[in-house]
Amino acid sequence: MKNYFENMLPAEELAQLKYIPTIPEFVTWIENKWHDLPALSDTVNTYTYAQVCDAVARKRAMLNAMGLAKGDKVAIIDNTTVEAVEMFLAVTSAGYVAINLPAQLPAPAIVGCCMKFGVKVLAAGPAFIETVKDAPCKVVAIADMADQPAPVAVVDKDDAAAIFFTGGTTGAPKGAILPHRAIMRGSLNGCYAPGKQLGCHRYATVLPLSHVFGLIRSTMSVLYTGGLWIAAANVKETISKFPMIRPTCLVAVPGICEILMGLVKMYGKQFLGGNLRFIIAGAANVPPKLIAEFDEIGISLFAGYGMTEGANLTSGNIDVKERPTSVGQIYPGQEVKVVDGELWFRGDNLFLGYYGDPEKTAEVMTPDGWLKTGDLARFDEDGYMYIVGRIKNLIILSNGENVSPESIEEPFYKCDKLRDCLVKEDEVDGKMVIAIEILPRMEEFANTPWEEVEAYFKKLVDEVNATLPTTHRICKVTVRKEDFKRTGTMKVSRN
Amino acid sequence: MERKDVLEGLKEILKLIKPSLDLSTVNDDTQLISDLGLDSLTILLLSLAIENKFKFKFEGTLKFNTVGEVIDHIIKNAA
Repeated sequence: MKNYFENMLPAEELAQLKYIPTIPEFVTWIENKWHDLPALSDTVNTYTYAQVCDAVARKRAMLNAMGLAKGDKVAIIDNTTVEAVEMFLAVTSAGYVAINLPAQLPAPAIVGCCMKFGVKVLAAGPAFIETVKDAPCKVVAIADMADQPAPVAVVDKDDAAAIFFTGGTTGAPKGAILPHRAIMRGSLNGCYAPGKQLGCHRYATVLPLSHVFGLIRSTMSVLYTGGLWIAAANVKETISKFPMIRPTCLVAVPGICEILMGLVKMYGKQFLGGNLRFIIAGAANVPPKLIAEFDEIGISLFAGYGMTEGANLTSGNIDVKERPTSVGQIYPGQEVKVVDGELWFRGDNLFLGYYGDPEKTAEVMTPDGWLKTGDLARFDEDGYMYIVGRIKNLIILSNGENVSPESIEEPFYKCDKLRDCLVKEDEVDGKMVIAIEILPRMEEFANTPWEEVEAYFKKLVDEVNATLPTTHRICKVTVRKEDFKRTGTMKVSRN
Repeated sequence: MERKDVLEGLKEILKLIKPSLDLSTVNDDTQLISDLGLDSLTILLLSLAIENKFKFKFEGTLKFNTVGEVIDHIIKNAA
């Protein structure tokens, strides 16, 4: 019987999409399958799958000529460019391990990463080549390639393919090692969306390749489905070129979706190009208000759940109108269970561990292969998942009871006048209490004195408090004028 | 392009992005972040709106601290 996701695709398309367990096999498959279709574009030049795979093959030859051994690390630093995608495919299809470095890393951090991960070669885009010239490894230009192609390597599906930094809202960044099978499972799962998907979509690309959401759903799944991946020089340029790109799909974080909605309100729906059908939104909570606003202009905003350690995609929700706060159903290839409220999963998409950190790995992975996500989840009677908090964020009350701050924050997000909020412990008169900081949507308070804005949210807190057990009530309210500190994916940082 | 016209154009954009702002107090010395409360995403939106209104492109996103610096840049680059 077909599952939730398989039912989204027409039968003839579902029959064509098979799980390909390694990136070398994937590169060969897309070259044969989508040969003459357009694959990658920088908005000026567009390259077919055949051209891209030829460049990938010649980049493989360039890397092989540097004397690398299987499993050696090759770091890549660039903006979201055609060459960076080709280099990632070249590194991983040649049997080396790719590390896509975040483009905003300062030079000392780049050097530190190269040392920490034992990077042998660093491929740098033109904007970065001068910055990285002193890196403790060989440096090549990202556009470099040999005259002749090299064949793909033979790798095992369990071999490491790439290392991603886990940003997260808590804790220090770690390097999560993803094997070929995980990246490819995530990439296949990203192909499921309502209606025809193969060889027909134009994706405007606004996410960094250093994040699993940008690399897996926003790039690999696009190539899996024979789509056209389009990125201008930077996010602003890509968005400003929407009327020319005319994307049919977009993969984005909610913050980018907010910007697009702001532009629609200023210049009309046509600013998005007129063809946009759906947006896959993730990496942070997707506000139901945003889903409703996009629905009003005929664009579906689909939410989901995933984490770096699970190759990006664990669940997805296309029924956002009926269940706007759910992160959807579980993608194929995984087993899930809820243990003491915590979501555990295992499957092809699971990572191998944190680089050089077996202790941290053992903390999150059981000996029989379950990943303890640290997220508190529940399922409704139809199998839709809801994330209700993070274990690490739990507040321990004086009575010993654990409270998830996210579960207290959740009712506040139903308020259209609130942009973000953060519940945490705070000290009042020497006693630890539950406190909330609220960032208003200031556009909703035109010409309103600040005292009235504060009063509005204090009244809201009173209303929510009335629904909470007495031990969970918020005792301190701060209404913020300035934005929260945010993570790289624009989540509110809890640190 | 007159400086006061650019300021008025900028105020029109700010009014759309943040209707709650008291625009009568906006002048050359107004700080984008600490006075207007613009976050990184709003600054990206502001950059796109300025480009659209004044018909030029920033290199990357807007990296100025004050309204006066933005006006200087617009006068220098706008068509």
